[in-house]
Amino acid sequence: MSAGATDLPVLLPYRAPAPIAPSGLAAPVLLGGGTFAAFAILFGASLALAQVTARPAGEGATTVLLRWAPLIFQGFLFNILISFLSMALGTLIGVLVGIAQVSLVAPLRKTAWGLTQFFRNAPWLVLLFYAMFLLPFEFRVFGLTIAFPAWVKAIIGLALPVAANVSEIVRGGVRSIPSGQWESAEALAFTRRQTMWMIILPQAFKRMIPPWMNLYAILTMATTLISVVGIQDGLTITRAALVAESRPELMIPMYTLLLLMFFAYCYPIARATMALERRFNVKA
Amino acid sequence: MNRLAILASSLALACAAALAALPAAAQDSLAKIKEKGVLSVGVKNDYKPWGFLEPSGKIVGLEIDLAQAVADKIGVKLEMLPVTGANRMEFLKQGRIDMIVATMGDTADRRKIVGMVEPNYYAGATNVMAPKSAGLKKWEDLKGRKVCAVQGAYYNRRVSQLYTPDLTVFPTVPDALNALAGNNCVAFLFDDTLIVSTLSAGDPKWANYEMPLVSEDPQLWAIGIRLEDMDGPLGKIVKDISTDWHKSGKLLELETKWGIKQSPYLIETNKKLKAAS
Repeated sequence: MSAGATDLPVLLPYRAPAPIAPSGLAAPVLLGGGTFAAFAILFGASLALAQVTARPAGEGATTVLLRWAPLIFQGFLFNILISFLSMALGTLIGVLVGIAQVSLVAPLRKTAWGLTQFFRNAPWLVLLFYAMFLLPFEFRVFGLTIAFPAWVKAIIGLALPVAANVSEIVRGGVRSIPSGQWESAEALAFTRRQTMWMIILPQAFKRMIPPWMNLYAILTMATTLISVVGIQDGLTITRAALVAESRPELMIPMYTLLLLMFFAYCYPIARATMALERRFNVKA
Repeated sequence: MNRLAILASSLALACAAALAALPAAAQDSLAKIKEKGVLSVGVKNDYKPWGFLEPSGKIVGLEIDLAQAVADKIGVKLEMLPVTGANRMEFLKQGRIDMIVATMGDTADRRKIVGMVEPNYYAGATNVMAPKSAGLKKWEDLKGRKVCAVQGAYYNRRVSQLYTPDLTVFPTVPDALNALAGNNCVAFLFDDTLIVSTLSAGDPKWANYEMPLVSEDPQLWAIGIRLEDMDGPLGKIVKDISTDWHKSGKLLELETKWGIKQSPYLIETNKKLKAAS
């Protein structure tokens, strides 16, 4: 029997109106296209300006930019590599600390909580400085010398705040699973470890993916911080290129070129994150 | 245990872990360099024309030529590591590099940390670049006015203490020059030989600019090595080759090669050493 089949005064369940989500393809594509076009116009305008104000004997701004583009792109790829590796390391540590945060063992839980809060609320650049200047440049283990170059230290430095944020994502994801799941598992004689790995984490996983991707996009943009500690990333190379050219009017086109590279990489991640969030919203 | 105590103890834990890993000092650097076959030198790659990038990614410049000459003398390959004013001495102490040739001013404070090789290979002095219309006559005229400068330059502190300008510090030279061209500041505080090079390059953009003040605070630049190497074999080699550069006029040649106006210090030292021999 369906709800509409009776004329008795029945209280129907309240249904919220569907949220007006920018779903479908048109809106995001138009939005993304608009942002991209805006940057492209800015880029073109700065280039044109640089062209006009260039000294007569100098080369065209576009020529100069094209000449440096491969090197700047190499630097950008290095940023991406750093972001990959620190995300991997940060996620590995973060997942462990996050699970420790929901542990039943009080000292473990409290230590994990303390570490998470400390690294989550410390400035990224300061952590990076600590990693750069406190870690040795090489380790000697059993007469074997293991080099420990600056970029590895930078990865560790960036992985610390990432781990703390991942830890919070994991804790939040686990906590978001209704307690009924825990209770049912207990009733079915699952151990706590089994419950965590076989019941809770698989459900929490999809909820952790969007914030995790968000964190990755933020990390990628934050990798330019390593230019401050003297690592040859995209930003350092862009600056060095500007110095080599000694043409101040090229500053805005050069920086915009680097900005476009980052944007082209991070924007699709942001879109995918939003798409995933919407998808998981419906199911939840 | 309350939460604050936990936070404090984890913080202490993190610090202890970081401190546990302390660098080990290197012994007999020259033998080590020869064994490795590589001389690691910290250089600048953002300070034209002393050390700057080519589009191919190669670092070139006056200081690179000097570093190469030292590597050739020892008979090893040269490895260049771009450094900044903030990390070069740390890298040297840690042993990441064996030598600094990176526009480093020879100051008494730094001598406590790094061995400064004499004779110094260059001397610069401080001046400003300003539009002629600004009408600057003496250093005191800078008081309270906006002056652009570059991060990490040794003269920033002295000038801001003596003449109290409103100093705006930029990360690189082009940033600062751009600000000067855009009238964001009345003058650009910089090394006098570089101002002369910029002004004499014939860029119409700087046609109405000048170097109005009397250069001040001559500052020697030095090659830096670890303190314990100063009396060791590496220190001796670098000292000898440095003397030779002055005597043979190689430094003056290099200045000309890289478009730097010959500095009075180098001309004088060259004369003195030639007369002595």
